[in-house]
Amino acid sequence: MEEEQEEPQSITTTAAALSADPALQKKHQAMLDRLSNRHQPRQKSASSASTAAFLTQFSDSRHSIESQLAEASSSKLAADPSLMKSHMADFSSSISSLEQLVAENSHLLPPYELRSALKSISDLKQSLENLNPKKKFSFKSKSQNQTQKSSTAAQCQALNTAPAAPEQPAPRFSVQDSPGFRNKESQILAKSFKGSEIGEFTLSDLESCEVRLIGPVNALFINRLRNCRVYAGPVLGSVLIEQVDSCIFVLASHQIRIHRARESDFYLRVRSRPIIEDCGGVRFAPYCLSYDGIEDDLKAAGLEAETGNWANVDDFQWLRAVPSPNWSVLEETKRISSVEI
Amino acid sequence: MGLLSIIRKIKRKEKEMRILMVGLDNSGKTTIVLKINGEDTSVISPTLGFNIKTITYQKYTLNIWDVGGQRTIRSYWRNYFEQTDGLVWVVDSSDLRRLDDCRMELHNLLKEERLSGASLLVLANKQDIKGALTPEEIAKVLNLENMDKTRHWKIIGCSAYTGEGLLEGFDWLVQDIASRIYVLD
Repeated sequence: MEEEQEEPQSITTTAAALSADPALQKKHQAMLDRLSNRHQPRQKSASSASTAAFLTQFSDSRHSIESQLAEASSSKLAADPSLMKSHMADFSSSISSLEQLVAENSHLLPPYELRSALKSISDLKQSLENLNPKKKFSFKSKSQNQTQKSSTAAQCQALNTAPAAPEQPAPRFSVQDSPGFRNKESQILAKSFKGSEIGEFTLSDLESCEVRLIGPVNALFINRLRNCRVYAGPVLGSVLIEQVDSCIFVLASHQIRIHRARESDFYLRVRSRPIIEDCGGVRFAPYCLSYDGIEDDLKAAGLEAETGNWANVDDFQWLRAVPSPNWSVLEETKRISSVEI
Repeated sequence: MGLLSIIRKIKRKEKEMRILMVGLDNSGKTTIVLKINGEDTSVISPTLGFNIKTITYQKYTLNIWDVGGQRTIRSYWRNYFEQTDGLVWVVDSSDLRRLDDCRMELHNLLKEERLSGASLLVLANKQDIKGALTPEEIAKVLNLENMDKTRHWKIIGCSAYTGEGLLEGFDWLVQDIASRIYVLD
């Protein structure tokens, strides 16, 4: 502020000196230079003035939005979805006008002020979103508190005429089970797919069981097995294995994906490269199963020829040139002999 | 708006569309892309990384990005979001156990701002497998009805194995994108 006051004085002196003596023109020139050098700092001080103005304006409107938000979340507004909705629109428009203000002033704001302004805007948006859980997808709202949950449900019903309950549509389907063996212990489980329409099959939650699957099947899902032996004929599509421990698998398939397997052996014939993810101590060897008519089944599935892919394992958690420590080829002397079922 | 209109103009000239294929592992993304392109689908390894296919479809050039779906590499999906015109979410309709995962991943994806303008095609794949859920059931489980109202979306049942439904799905996707990007001359 001192500088600004000083300037008019120096300008008047220059003008007076200039009119009084033309010989002083050189001095005048020097003074002009000095003045133009001053131009820089003067601008700075002007911008700092408008920064201050901006900060005041910004913090005023921020506080007003914050207090409105606080009021809205505490009051009965939350109970009335339609009222709530109109308020939400107000809030979001005032937040975006605040954002606009920051954008307009961004070129003259110091980086720190800009950052903190943006931060408080994103905080405001966050608290608006917390207040208005409808914006989030409903299945997430389980973790939120009870009042928010009920307002979500009310809003969904108000907005959406579809009868489907958006809260938990999934359980209805997880009840409907596909064919498979589930929740068994210490049993021999056998199934022949011969002559039946090809479909999917599931093995899940088995402990110390032996599973024998004869004939071709379209897809095989294996989930949560412990200490089991699984012998299966050809799978036309893919096998998906998740969470198995201390098991032996003898499988033939177009694709095989193995997730979270521990200390298990896989005897595979597979057209593509098998993959492992989150596995440890898994070992691989070639397919070694036979049953009456397996040759025809393998041929029909396009799996009659050994591809050698049982040893071409991709570890999705080991994307390096050196071999993955998570799997190995099972030594020939340690392999089981051919299995007949 | 200046940049956007320039991008639109360039795209109009080349008639290009960028399509991102995502979904859980084992849903059949790569098989679908190869099937559409008329390639052999009998030997396909799980995708480690991604594949790009450029396909001429009607009068458009589709750049299809097929990104691997294994859990470990899902976090890299976001590297492919930029400038996506169409999003194809592939579902294994026979994998009932992982439908919750499937829904969660889809809705996480739809929150992404960079994908907010993209048309969404949900392919309920593996309809050829006995016991697979119908597209209507998949739509319910994935909670598609409660999606952001501004999103253009459609669900279609298909089988990458037989090829059924794939063209119908891509026809819709291409038309929908075209009507958004290439304003009628």
